[in-house]
Amino acid sequence: MILITGGAYQGKLDYAKEILGAGDEDVFTCGADDMRIDFDKKIIDGVDQFVLACVRAGADPEAEAAKVLPLLQDKVVTCTDISQGVVPMDKTERAWREGTGRFVTALGRHADKVVRMFCGIPEVVKDTAKA
Amino acid sequence: MNIFISGGCKNGKSMRAQELARDVSIEQSVPLYYIATMIPADDEDRLRIKRHLQARDGWGFETVEQPLDLCGLLDKPGVDPKGAFLLDSVTALLSNEMFRYDGTYDKDAGKRVADDLVRFAESTGNSVFVSDYIYSDARIFDDYTENYRRSLAYCDRALAKVCPSVIETSFGNFKELKLGRA
Repeated sequence: MILITGGAYQGKLDYAKEILGAGDEDVFTCGADDMRIDFDKKIIDGVDQFVLACVRAGADPEAEAAKVLPLLQDKVVTCTDISQGVVPMDKTERAWREGTGRFVTALGRHADKVVRMFCGIPEVVKDTAKA
Repeated sequence: MNIFISGGCKNGKSMRAQELARDVSIEQSVPLYYIATMIPADDEDRLRIKRHLQARDGWGFETVEQPLDLCGLLDKPGVDPKGAFLLDSVTALLSNEMFRYDGTYDKDAGKRVADDLVRFAESTGNSVFVSDYIYSDARIFDDYTENYRRSLAYCDRALAKVCPSVIETSFGNFKELKLGRA
């Protein structure tokens, strides 16, 4: 698995497509109101939105993340880093923030490669091929 | 050389950017300009401007007011386009262009400002651009704020692409992300 993270709008999906030579047809975009993921696609985009969907559906994000994690092993996964702002007043946003933090940490642990995007520039944080 | 510098707030971006702009001006013996982007609305703003002016006192900056239409600066009498420019910040410039002083809202300002910034960088060649990394909040923002964040990121990425040097500040440390990669 390759995990691509970074703040919002930093070019994560563009980079995912670039490294795979993939197009829009290879991308599944996670929805904030739908927990379903199409695992036939090569790129699973925005798993932070999957976590938000779990929270909104009243599901335990940690348990749901544990279920999908094995199915992401051969994917390129993008996740927006939403961990560095102010703690939200809203309960849903708080649960979303914490659930995403735990999920992205688990993804990072299992990933072969982790890349952080900054203003469109990739920075390799982890690469087991070079370890 | 054009330089793009961004990071979280109060990380030392402005001071570093001032040093970088001043160094270029000295090395190349060209005038040093500070592009002021704020249009003061009240006494609080006027005090902030006074503090900023004091902070730059003695550095050799000539302050040029350009809160809108950045490339208009290139045609201003007395401004040398080959000078060293410090734009602090892209964030404020986009805000002025998107949320206009006449009360109107230009939702497409991001593309226009990004084009202006790239043209300004290419025309001058010695500019330092400061922006703010506002992309890691766990918040569902209103449409105006979300569009502003998306548009600022668009400007940041456009500048990061054309500037040979891209620097991320992190708690007073400076990480060069691009030089030496080519």
